Amino acid sequence: MAEARKKTPDFSIALSWAKKNKWVRIEKGKIVIVKKPTKIEEREALRNIDLKKPVGERMLRVLISRKLVEKVRKDSYKKIKKMAGKEVTTLSPELIKTGMWKHVKIKPYNVSVRGEKLYPGKRQPYNRFLLQVRQKLVELGFREMTGPVIESEFWNFDALFQAQSHPSRDWAQTYTLKKPRQGFLPSKKLVERVSAAHENGWKTGSTGWGYKWDPMKAANLMPRAHGTACSARQLARGVDVPGKYFAIKRCFRPDVIDATHGVEFNQCEGIIIDESLNFEKMLGILKMFAIEIAGAVEVRFYPDYYPFTEPSVQLSAKHPQLGWIEFAGAGIFRPELTEPLGVKQPVLAWGLGIDRLAMCKLGIKDIRHLFSQDIDWLRRQRVTV
Amino acid sequence: MPTIEVNYQDLQTLVGEHIPLDVLQEEGILYAKGEIEEIEGEVLKVDIKDTNRPDLWSAEGIARELQGRYGTKKGLPAYAVKPSGLTVKVSPKLKNIRPLTVCAVVKKLNITPDVLSQMIQLQEKISVTFGRNRKEVAIGVYDLHKIKGPIKFTSVKPDGIRFAPLEFNQKMTPAEILKKHPKGLEYGGLLKGLKEYPLFIDSAGEVLSIPPIINSNHTGKISTATGDIFIECSGFNFKFLVPALNTIVAALADRGGQIQSVRVDYPDGVRHTPDLRPKKTKVNVDYVKEVSGLKLSRGQICELLEEARYETRPKGKSIELLYSAYRQDIMHPRDVIEDVIISYGYNRIKPVFPKLVTTGGVSDIEKFSDAVTDVMIGLGFQETLSYMLTNKNALFGRMNLPEGDVVEIENIVSSNWSVFRNWLIPANMEFLAKNKHRTYPQNIFEVGDIITPDRAMETKTRDRRRIAASSSGARTGYEYMASVLDALFSSLGLEYQLVPARHPTFITGRVAEIRYNRKSVGILGEIHPKVLNSWDIENPVVSFEIDLGKIL
Repeated sequence: MAEARKKTPDFSIALSWAKKNKWVRIEKGKIVIVKKPTKIEEREALRNIDLKKPVGERMLRVLISRKLVEKVRKDSYKKIKKMAGKEVTTLSPELIKTGMWKHVKIKPYNVSVRGEKLYPGKRQPYNRFLLQVRQKLVELGFREMTGPVIESEFWNFDALFQAQSHPSRDWAQTYTLKKPRQGFLPSKKLVERVSAAHENGWKTGSTGWGYKWDPMKAANLMPRAHGTACSARQLARGVDVPGKYFAIKRCFRPDVIDATHGVEFNQCEGIIIDESLNFEKMLGILKMFAIEIAGAVEVRFYPDYYPFTEPSVQLSAKHPQLGWIEFAGAGIFRPELTEPLGVKQPVLAWGLGIDRLAMCKLGIKDIRHLFSQDIDWLRRQRVTV
Repeated sequence: MPTIEVNYQDLQTLVGEHIPLDVLQEEGILYAKGEIEEIEGEVLKVDIKDTNRPDLWSAEGIARELQGRYGTKKGLPAYAVKPSGLTVKVSPKLKNIRPLTVCAVVKKLNITPDVLSQMIQLQEKISVTFGRNRKEVAIGVYDLHKIKGPIKFTSVKPDGIRFAPLEFNQKMTPAEILKKHPKGLEYGGLLKGLKEYPLFIDSAGEVLSIPPIINSNHTGKISTATGDIFIECSGFNFKFLVPALNTIVAALADRGGQIQSVRVDYPDGVRHTPDLRPKKTKVNVDYVKEVSGLKLSRGQICELLEEARYETRPKGKSIELLYSAYRQDIMHPRDVIEDVIISYGYNRIKPVFPKLVTTGGVSDIEKFSDAVTDVMIGLGFQETLSYMLTNKNALFGRMNLPEGDVVEIENIVSSNWSVFRNWLIPANMEFLAKNKHRTYPQNIFEVGDIITPDRAMETKTRDRRRIAASSSGARTGYEYMASVLDALFSSLGLEYQLVPARHPTFITGRVAEIRYNRKSVGILGEIHPKVLNSWDIENPVVSFEIDLGKIL
């Protein structure tokens, strides 16, 4: 039966008709043919109608009920003839078909009145903005990275060379999970290298943080606190050289919620890998982002600090309408991070403050509004940003 | 990123040069990794971006960087330390309480109001930001003349001693302080569960403090009249304590104070603190050029590092370096290279755009999500976006479902956001509930991830991309959403079947399982009035939810 279903259009109608006429019966999910119909009355009747020959009353009712023919009242033609010279509101199909439209006056409307409100389906404005950023990055040759929402501290912090006592790993700064609590650590080899980098710098020429690294802490699960966790995974998975990668990911922090802090937000981050990269080029890339993505006319660089990059930089961009905004943070990943993950080339890491830019562009003062639950606001939004 | 306040005049006096405010703002403050956020009269509010450089968190620290760059003093700042003759005896009882301290004496201080405010601010920022809210570093500063050495660092029972804590005249036991004193209430948690509390006490029986809570009012009160001081930092790890103490004494020495060392007797040996002997490292000239991209000679690199307060000794391709003992952030030559570039000036560098040929792209699930979104928009549905964090009531109770297994947050900020969503239709319901006074019909959808526990996965969870769509209004109905679903599948070129199902969220007889390749991939149905009542929704709702990963 399943096979017949695939091969036959309008299968269920066909089957029930065949059963009704006792042409087939169903036995254990299989269709058994009882008798083959010699002539099909419906087909004959349709042919007769087409040839303007008479058809039996019973057969006509069947055809109408199956919507194979339509009944048109003869008197409707008479009705239309009566309309000659009159004013009509509706240009009906009858008027068009009979040509009677030539003999009636079509009532004019008050065309200066606007139509009733209609709401088209639209993208959520913040999502549309994120999509535009994503498309821009793809055009610039960046490939998307993936990673789970629930991460181990290992990928969120340890693999990024963030010491286990670092304040950002404090529970006031980072969500912890009640259920499930711990995940699995990656391969023993990788864990040993990362642990050595923390404890004594491993083979990187660094002193390391100089403490006893705890694998149990690294196995703790947490909602991803930054998109950089995806970069760490990408580096460990292996990267193309040259390689450009990005991720726009939902991140989570137990912030006090106000107009500029939400517990959920999106981060746009990425990495660029090549033997030829250096700080000068880092600035070049950031400037290009500021122009291409933030529409900046001027940029300024500030020394900055991130636990996983050295040297580090922050870029402020001047937008012609919005003024100066802190737009990007970046740096060259520390060797204590890249070498244990198996990457020898310089890795430039960057992050863009897209939530702030989205707020500026959408004219939003409160970050919570990016996830607006107000259908009127969504309906009012323009489709251009 | 501590924000500190410094007085513009005081800063210039410390530097010994006039620095115009616009130069300071545009260029000077960047040498201290700072950004001036606000100017109120003479007071500058500066955001210092480096959380790993407490030495920059004071007017004195910023001034050291400016001295190097504006020419008054370059190279290594030198700090002489003479012994004070004071001894601190550390009791073995502290082993599991708060075992370590490093101490110093600073004499002949002229404590002006500027000096006092900077000293208090630096102490506060170090103990809060660098010292992890006093857990790793608690700092006490005392009037040396009110103390009779040797000092004992020991422990005491919560009701074992009485003294007047800072800003109080009345004597209290440590236990009372934890209950009544504002600092006791703020930091008491750090002593939770301890049978004895740490105590600094002098040989005359005068209490100095119970760290990390509070000083005594008698010995631990500093004013502009104080000339000689005793400082202690206590905690668990010298890696925090040593730079904290060194930073404070260096700042006071920059104000004209004389640093003197204290003998700290540990059960297992003696330490003389502070130790301000410079630290050593080195960088390779080629590595500096490679990382920075700047075409610098060895001489230029040395000059830039001298400005950043290093002493430089060039040797062949390499430069040996001495740097101050208050710096604890240098782990790798990279850290030195950043100082070279900061000295050079970030905004003096001409950005170079690298030409790297790579191909861009997004993952298949993102492309597929976009295609699904396009069809839904074409069908007149408004896209919505909601938090992934929600609560059990929204996922289960209000959806007429028994409680199931979900990913739960431990340290919740709000009970509204305590678990991760494990299906998406509740997000539609919440949205519709908030818009019941808006124009109907309301046709909405969301494409987003849900998370389900999965023991086999590395992170014990699995993310799934879903779509949930709902139509609500007086005239909407099951048939309409069945058509929308059909349009979606047809547009994606996918075959599917609807099979009658049972699900407590939906009206019995109006709910179907969506099957694709004989596998269940979603659900379509009219929401049960019980569920509508629980969300206080007054119009019928028909919804479907599909796991996009299963039909991709």
